Amino acid sequence: MTSTTGFSRLMKSYGRLTIFMIPIGIAINFVGGQIALLLKLPVYLDSIGTILVGATCGSIPGALVGLVSNLLNSITSPTNLPFALLNIMFGLLAGWLAKRGVFTSWWKTLLSAIPFAIIGGGLGALMTIWIFGGLGGGGGAIIVGALVASGMDINTANFVAQIPMDILDKVPTVMIVYLILLRIPKRLYVKLPLGYIYLNKSAAAAKTPAHV
Amino acid sequence: MSSEFIDGFRRPATQGNGIRDLNPITVLVALASLAAIAVAIPGLLAPTLICASFVVIAFCAGIGPSFASTYAKLFAVVGLILFVLRAAFIPGEQILFEVGPIAVSMEGVIEGARFTLVVMAMCGAVTLFFSLIPMKYLMLALELKGMTPKASYVILASFQSIIDLGKNAKVVMDAQKSRGIETEGSIAQRVRAFVPILAPVFLAAMNETEERALALDARAFNSRQAHSHLVILHGIRTRDIVVLCAAVTLAAASILGALLTWY
Repeated sequence: MTSTTGFSRLMKSYGRLTIFMIPIGIAINFVGGQIALLLKLPVYLDSIGTILVGATCGSIPGALVGLVSNLLNSITSPTNLPFALLNIMFGLLAGWLAKRGVFTSWWKTLLSAIPFAIIGGGLGALMTIWIFGGLGGGGGAIIVGALVASGMDINTANFVAQIPMDILDKVPTVMIVYLILLRIPKRLYVKLPLGYIYLNKSAAAAKTPAHV
Repeated sequence: MSSEFIDGFRRPATQGNGIRDLNPITVLVALASLAAIAVAIPGLLAPTLICASFVVIAFCAGIGPSFASTYAKLFAVVGLILFVLRAAFIPGEQILFEVGPIAVSMEGVIEGARFTLVVMAMCGAVTLFFSLIPMKYLMLALELKGMTPKASYVILASFQSIIDLGKNAKVVMDAQKSRGIETEGSIAQRVRAFVPILAPVFLAAMNETEERALALDARAFNSRQAHSHLVILHGIRTRDIVVLCAAVTLAAASILGALLTWY
């Protein structure tokens, strides 16, 4: 009975390896964030896994990585839960961009940081305004508070604080994804749903991903 | 001794406490109902009482000190930011005091306290739930309600992968440090260190997916037959029904009460 449920059918359509890539993507999100903290970098780098799985397995698996990452993250910081939407959007966008061959050249990958930052910063700012009235619970809220205190409107302050911060985060994120994509072995690409893009084959030639 | 060990798997799993042995779904619904009460009833009293009730429940469940310290940290870090920013920036007529361009008003303080307490009540429900119920029991309970084992695999494997990848990342970081990669110094230096640390860890993890797929196939993970489980959970017992009815009735009454007083 269970194998006929929607989730199972969906995963089957992506090939068997995808289900094993999702937990790895989630772990990459966490570990990326932890190492960024450990190296005292002023960026989050917590969406590498989402974009990587979106780029290699497709939009829906990428979105799932984003959703589950934020769900697990919200166990320790529940105020992050609404921002799962951003991570879901990153996964969807990564799959869409990958199908257009964006992640096959370094300069296109670099440019893709812009739409990711618009989602992260722009939609992030909108959500902070809708849910928290513009004053969230994270460290960014202090910058927003400082801008408001200096006379800026609270909505503008959210965008001004968040979009540049997100560009700073997404440029290294997409470039790390690009470097990892360069080094994934061919025998793994053959089994991944969007692997044909990186093997310079057409979708039809690649057929459905091979079952392990 | 050995038969006792084997018999342990034939009995429903117990954590040695009445509250923690409730069915995970019961605990989920009950805590969600308590959070709903905090949202529904206006004013400061209801969310304060709900936040306090979480601490009381935690102590009754035998996890009081660890939950109280986690919850206190959440209040101190997230709650404080939410409250202070609102108290400082929400405009009002009754000004309490002014610091430079910031005028703290009575309205701002009350609204800030209410918002913070409601958010903290929701956070408390989530934090308490995961302190009471191990993730694997929640997944098993959901699987028994018809969720696909693949979804529980994704969640449980993610936890394990986070631990494994974290360990590997530390090992690679130490190895790269010993080879002369600078992990301290200017930002540019630290950014450069990021790639040689993470790329090998991530690539190794992605390569392992093939082995995992084979290992799980060998254990009939993709079989269409119903899966067997090593752990048995308590079903819905009388105590579950009592807790569920009490929590849902209280939540429904508060929502209804709030609606009636509003209109």
